Amino acid sequence: MPHLNREEPIIEAQDVAKSFRTQAGTVELFRHLSLRILPGESLAIIGRSGAGKSTLLSLLAGLDTPSEGQILFAGKPLAQLDDAARAALRLEQISFIFQSFHLLPELDALDNVRLPLEIQGRRDADAQARRWLEQVGLGERLDHYPAQLSGGEQQRVAIARAFATEPRVLFADEPTGNLDDDTGHQIIEQLFSLNANTGTTLILITHDIDLASRCQRRLHLHNGRLEEVTP
Amino acid sequence: MSLLSRLAARQLLTQLRTTEWRALLLASWIAIALTTLLAVLGDRLERGLLRESAALLGADLVLSSSRPFVDDRLAGLPLNGIESTSVIQFPSMVGQGDNLMLVSVRVLQPPYPLRGALTTEPPGEGIPAPGEVWIEPRVMTQLQLRSGDMLEFGYQPLKVTRELLGSPDRGTGFRSFSPHILVNAADLDASGVLAPGSRANYRTLFAGPPEAVRTLEQALRPTLASHERLHALSTDQPLTGNALGNALGYLKLSALIALLLSAMTIVLALRRFSLGQHTRSALLLNLGLRPNQLVRVYLYQLLLAWLLTAAAGTLTGYLLELAVYQWLSDLLPQALPQAHWLRWLSGAALGLALLVLLGLPPILQLARIPVAHLLRGDTPPRDRTALLLQGISLLLLAATLLAFLEAPLAALGLLLFLLLGGALFGWMAQSGLQLLARPLAQRLLLGRLLTMRLRQQRRWHRLQAAVVVMLLTLLSVVWVSRSDLIEQWQAQFPSDTPNYFLINIQPWQKTDVDNFFAERQLETELYPMIRGRLTQLNGEPIKPQLTTEQQDHNTLRRELNLSWHADQPAHNPLVAGEWWQPGDTGAISIEQEMAKELGLSLGDRLGFDVGGILVEGEIRNIREVVWTSFRPNFYIIFNPEALQNAPSTWITSFFLTAEQRALTRELLHQFPSLTLIDIDQILNQLSGWLQRLGDSSALILALSLGCGLMLLGVTLLQALEQRRFESALLQTLGVTAEQARRLDLLEFLLLGLVCGLLASAGAEGVLAMLHQWLLRIPPRLHLELWLSLPILAGLIFVLIGGLIRRPLQLEHCYRLLRTG
Repeated sequence: MPHLNREEPIIEAQDVAKSFRTQAGTVELFRHLSLRILPGESLAIIGRSGAGKSTLLSLLAGLDTPSEGQILFAGKPLAQLDDAARAALRLEQISFIFQSFHLLPELDALDNVRLPLEIQGRRDADAQARRWLEQVGLGERLDHYPAQLSGGEQQRVAIARAFATEPRVLFADEPTGNLDDDTGHQIIEQLFSLNANTGTTLILITHDIDLASRCQRRLHLHNGRLEEVTP
Repeated sequence: MSLLSRLAARQLLTQLRTTEWRALLLASWIAIALTTLLAVLGDRLERGLLRESAALLGADLVLSSSRPFVDDRLAGLPLNGIESTSVIQFPSMVGQGDNLMLVSVRVLQPPYPLRGALTTEPPGEGIPAPGEVWIEPRVMTQLQLRSGDMLEFGYQPLKVTRELLGSPDRGTGFRSFSPHILVNAADLDASGVLAPGSRANYRTLFAGPPEAVRTLEQALRPTLASHERLHALSTDQPLTGNALGNALGYLKLSALIALLLSAMTIVLALRRFSLGQHTRSALLLNLGLRPNQLVRVYLYQLLLAWLLTAAAGTLTGYLLELAVYQWLSDLLPQALPQAHWLRWLSGAALGLALLVLLGLPPILQLARIPVAHLLRGDTPPRDRTALLLQGISLLLLAATLLAFLEAPLAALGLLLFLLLGGALFGWMAQSGLQLLARPLAQRLLLGRLLTMRLRQQRRWHRLQAAVVVMLLTLLSVVWVSRSDLIEQWQAQFPSDTPNYFLINIQPWQKTDVDNFFAERQLETELYPMIRGRLTQLNGEPIKPQLTTEQQDHNTLRRELNLSWHADQPAHNPLVAGEWWQPGDTGAISIEQEMAKELGLSLGDRLGFDVGGILVEGEIRNIREVVWTSFRPNFYIIFNPEALQNAPSTWITSFFLTAEQRALTRELLHQFPSLTLIDIDQILNQLSGWLQRLGDSSALILALSLGCGLMLLGVTLLQALEQRRFESALLQTLGVTAEQARRLDLLEFLLLGLVCGLLASAGAEGVLAMLHQWLLRIPPRLHLELWLSLPILAGLIFVLIGGLIRRPLQLEHCYRLLRTG
């Protein structure tokens, strides 16, 4: 992994545009969009539904390719990476937390967290997974299946899964969207405290202004433009 | 067209693009085609051969006997207004030049037949004139005869004047399947082929006003002797104990597998379809459609699908029937009449039952979707009513299938066998997979993902493996046994095993026949044959002394062929007692199995009714008899003194090499009344039958395999979302699309290999049982199965899995996960 200066962005979007072809013609989500995210930063992308937040997230994570412009990850253009290199990037350096948790229903909590570690081929997968589940307070529920866990507990398993691989960047897409306020609040506390402890870069997508205010930076995606929100 | 039916038609058109609807249509198409084929073919066979209607019996009432009727048999019977005629039927060798053929001869006198008609080419009335013979097409072909040629019938050459295309009164059992020739009674004596004591069936045919026939039947029935049978329209059951009936039953059972697989495919396709219809149903209900209207929309859709498949299926059934009929035509004794038109609708009717009975429960469930599903994704609970409805539908469907098969017990047995076998194979395949994956998991990343996948898909794997293993096993067994079994059975005999039986040798011909063989240095031994019925045990009637099961023993239900002999037959070793000394009157020898099954032992005295005279003997020894030795074998052999004065004919068997076959012509020329049975010819005929039956059954099983593959596709579809979701998650976690593809293929390949191995083992097991118990020869391994089945099954899974699985683009992964 190349050494990175604290001031060198971990992710950089340069003059990015994204458009879709539909039957009615080409729809442009955004254009001339630029963004620098520094290592260890926490950043919220806010905006109304349909503004293109999730598309922006999948571009930044290398899951999608921009129509114009380029995205650099740790200084390297993502477009230059082939499938295998991008998969390796996701495996080693990126994690996701989803609104609807996305645990595998047939695996218990421990196996769900172990899965990405197993894919990484880590020998300590089992111990790591246990450690992370204990960290999120589920040490007693290792052998519970998703169906046996509450929404909040499922999201905590998902958080443990996301942090277990020690990613450099964590993308969280409306992580509390499916939870009630109290549970959502607890989850956010946990997410930010883990983020602070591990120094991970956190990129959060939300339409919740309070949640966004917990991040160091807030960006508003509106009419295809990204604007820095100052407190 | 109403709005509802327009909606239904549009829905169907859109859904024709989905795999589950395609599978549903194909499954119901195959089910309808197969049902049509079997219903139509079955009806034709039944009408043509099996149902003993007046036209087939050739009369209203038939008195049949293994002995000639004594002259006063009909005297004193109420024959008011009843017409009668006599027929004699017996096997005989007829020929032209060096060509000889075993046929069933019917000797006729006018009027004949009393009911129905003879169909001949050229057409005409009556029966063959003296000096003429009418023969069936098979005799024409095999003896290369043409109209106007002469056929040698014993001492009497007969002129072939017509080809016999169809005739009633074919007799029963095996003789009804041999090729027939018809001759005039006036030619019988001159031919010299039928001597007193020869094996023949003597029949008197009666026809007349129904009341008079009933009176005659009532008068005749109490007077029947043990060697006589009375066949009447009212009492004779169609389809019983008949080779063709059994063959048809066997084909119908093979079809049951296809029907079950189709039903399962339809159930799963509808399940997947209805799961995808929740939002649409909620929307339609929200827009104001009443639940019963919604049910109608979906029912219309099913009916449209039925119309499509009923038309295509009935047409396919018609084509298949043409093909199978063509296939069987040279084995059928005569052309078959057309099926009743209603039979053409059986397939479509069964298809309708399948679709409606299986479709109704999920459709009714759709009508109960709460509109709130649109907001919160609620689904209706699967309550007791839904389960009850599903249960009733399945029961009705099972009843329909069993009614179609007409053999409910056999079908139930097969169903149980399939369920248990399927469950066992499914479990074994799943365990086998886990065993295989374990070492891979320790070495490969893919292996670790594979263990997870296997756990996730285990229920589907069990079902998929059960279907594929059972189908491949059955298909292999039918395929291998259709030619292999008879060949192997024949291969076990020494090369000089007798290949001819000679029967109906009269006592005064015995010395000449002995000399004939001695002059040609052929080793034969002639045995006398006397017909007698076992009636007494230790001086008392035998039946009351036996259990119900023993009373039904083969040897008690008919007249036995008894023999007498001074010396022990070389091919019958003794297992108990000793052979008798000359002059030891009253001694008999019994066959081992018969003694065991009737509970008889040394010292028991048996009494036989031989032509009305009681002949007794004491069991002095028990013999082992190998019935397949193709030598004259008997259940009971008497000492010579006891039976040598009883009326007898003689029997022998001998072996001729291909070069010596001309001797048979010489033999029959010298002794035209002898009946020569060519064992090779009979075995060839039998193996021809088995092969055609096997081919027909393989055709049906191949169609079943088609159904099985569709079912496989549909089961893969059921878990498709789960697979796609898993694949999306794995790819966002860092697995490449290529790795995800390899994971799928590895899973399918391993599953296929395990299924192939299990199917090989299953087929070997069934074949070994057939060898051991049916043919009594040691089982052998079929290496070709162990090689081909795993490859075939692997290909099946990889191809179908590859077709069903759609590659997931990385950019779609995230969208899929977001939309849940």
